[in-house]
Amino acid sequence: MRVTSNRRTARRSRRSVALVALTASGALALSACSGDSGAMPEGDGGDGDDVNIRFAWWGSDDRHKSTQELIDLFEEKNPGITVTPDYTDWGGYWDKLATTVAGGDTPDVMTQEERFISDYATRGVIADMSQLDIDTAEISDEILATGTIDDKLYGIATGVNAYSLVADPQVFADAGVEVPDDTAWTWEDYVKVAGEVSKGAGDGVWGTQDYGFNEAGLSVMARQKGETLYNADGTLGVSEETVAAFFQLSLDLMANDGQPDASRTVEIQNAGPEGSLLGTNKGAMGVWWTNQLGALSESSGRELELLRMPGESQFDRTGMYFKPAMYYSVSATTEHPEESAKFVDFLLNDPEAAAIMLTDRGLPSNLTVRESILGDLADADQRMAEFMADLEDEIVDSPPVPPNGSGDVQDIITRINTEVLFGDSTPQEAAKAFISEVEAATAG
Amino acid sequence: MAVIQEVARARSIGRERRKGDGKAAAVFLAPWFAGLVLITAFPLLASLYLSFTDYSLLAAPNWVGVENYTAMFSDPRFYQALKVTFLYVFISVPLQLAAALALAMVLDKGLRGLAFYRSVYYLPSLLGGSVAIAILWRQVFGADGLVNQVLAFFGVEGYGWVSHPDYALGTLMVLNVWTFGAPMVIFLAGLRQIPAMYYEAASIDGAGRWRQFRNITLPLLTPIVFFNLVLQLIGAFQTFTQAFIVSGGTGGPVDSTLFYTLYLYEKGFGSYQMGYASAMAWFLLLIIAGMTAVNFLASKFWVFYDD
Repeated sequence: MRVTSNRRTARRSRRSVALVALTASGALALSACSGDSGAMPEGDGGDGDDVNIRFAWWGSDDRHKSTQELIDLFEEKNPGITVTPDYTDWGGYWDKLATTVAGGDTPDVMTQEERFISDYATRGVIADMSQLDIDTAEISDEILATGTIDDKLYGIATGVNAYSLVADPQVFADAGVEVPDDTAWTWEDYVKVAGEVSKGAGDGVWGTQDYGFNEAGLSVMARQKGETLYNADGTLGVSEETVAAFFQLSLDLMANDGQPDASRTVEIQNAGPEGSLLGTNKGAMGVWWTNQLGALSESSGRELELLRMPGESQFDRTGMYFKPAMYYSVSATTEHPEESAKFVDFLLNDPEAAAIMLTDRGLPSNLTVRESILGDLADADQRMAEFMADLEDEIVDSPPVPPNGSGDVQDIITRINTEVLFGDSTPQEAAKAFISEVEAATAG
Repeated sequence: MAVIQEVARARSIGRERRKGDGKAAAVFLAPWFAGLVLITAFPLLASLYLSFTDYSLLAAPNWVGVENYTAMFSDPRFYQALKVTFLYVFISVPLQLAAALALAMVLDKGLRGLAFYRSVYYLPSLLGGSVAIAILWRQVFGADGLVNQVLAFFGVEGYGWVSHPDYALGTLMVLNVWTFGAPMVIFLAGLRQIPAMYYEAASIDGAGRWRQFRNITLPLLTPIVFFNLVLQLIGAFQTFTQAFIVSGGTGGPVDSTLFYTLYLYEKGFGSYQMGYASAMAWFLLLIIAGMTAVNFLASKFWVFYDD
């Protein structure tokens, strides 16, 4: 009797272990990935006097505060329309947006980004804004082109940035090296200068931070050589030779100590502007978007300068370009297209709105509005605005909108560049791998 | 006779009550049952369906048959993700259990303030999966981190451990081993169950500590070892947070920390290939179910039940 009861307990405990294990494995493995298959449009509010639209954006706390002020101002000027804020940080934004779209609850107005807009446009999530009542007279055609896919205007740039070289004159001075003339310098000069700064400035300070983790640098280099990262039809337009030259530069910079060793480079890369070489006074140069000058200046406590990318005068044409900081887009399934358009029009063209937003969403794309806020800008932003004004005549054209799947390219180039830095693949191998992987990612 | 009638009446009352209870129970269980169906079972089946579609999250799904599964088996990064995950599971789980058992044995020796130590060692288990600890880990194993400062004291120059492809996975294994608290507490309870008389008898027979451990503690503890093994294995296969934070969401450097779930997430939410991601989820379920089944079969040969 005792024996059987013992066995039963044993069996029961074994069975309960099995049950716990199986339930846990099933539930945990699958609950993370599920979604509603239907995409049902759903409207907010009634069709009476009061219309409610939802505006989704990403950003920091500062931006959330200023955007709320924008909404308040809009509601004050447009009685009968209320705007529901829907915000999150950059990292969570795309997961959340994709999930709300899948749930049939697309926000009426949203901010979009270069690498994702094509995914949303070609799947019919966002509307052709040229059909809506939005005044774009003050925005240049080049800038409008950056939001145009298949002749339809899917996004209007909020403002523009340029990928450029940021320099710390203080570190140059400490190292006894002159800040190079950015209207004339070549890529070779860049490598040489970085090496000299590292040598002159001593231990723990480097000439520059590795630039190979961002395909924007490759895009600039390709354009200088008359190529383009992506063609208008979404295919790759950069040659293997150029990609290899791009990666080779990082190796040259490690060889002459112009930049830190591989593992330190990877670590700094993950630390953002605040932990960057420039941000921590440990480097003389780095390649950044112009809108990051403010954050870099703040964490470095120095007066940083913007320089043109190396090689701008080395080849037949310049490679720098204005990149839309982000776009405003309108849902294709919104029940209130007129009110949504009114709100976007307000954000783009209202001088009072611009005075609140300043350069938070890039240097305003509306040129009249841009003019009107110049006096209100902080030091770093003022320098940025001047730098951008200088570039205006030099920039030849804007690159086409990156194709579907280009959101993956950041990951691909990060991985391949890391392999190159650690010596696991040569620049030639890396170039081959980059091209085939990007082609695969953007094929769908 | 009266007793029997009494019992019979009691039984019938019990039965009636049980019937009544059945309805009440159904009412009380309904929310949980609804939860099970709506939150677990439905998404589970939906993901099975989606794994045979080209679902992108942004547009309605189209049936593509087994395309996602065939694509998966010709995707080199999928194999890399499997490799990373299996390495992690098979190295860090045994080490973690060994550490847990060793510490449980020490704490079982009747230390003063046992409750305090138990809580202290349990703490990492509560924190281990959190974002904060993963960020801390990135600092500790960074180029100028604590580990290298200690190494520098001994004149050794370290790497940026978390950003070196050869060592990044190792730091995550160490993190997993460090969270040995949960299995330790279970081991501790298991050790308490072993009757002291076995040890007394053994020591009278002249068995030393090691002998006692091998021939008494370990055999009697095998059900607990088995339980811990199954749970930790399942947990380790689904590691996500630590790898996501430490690698900045990329699985880098050079895919050296590309855990299965991380790649799954990247596919689903990064590349909008939710169909592919669903197929990966179902394959992971098969792997875990398979591993657990093997575990149960093997347990016949080494797990000793004696109650």
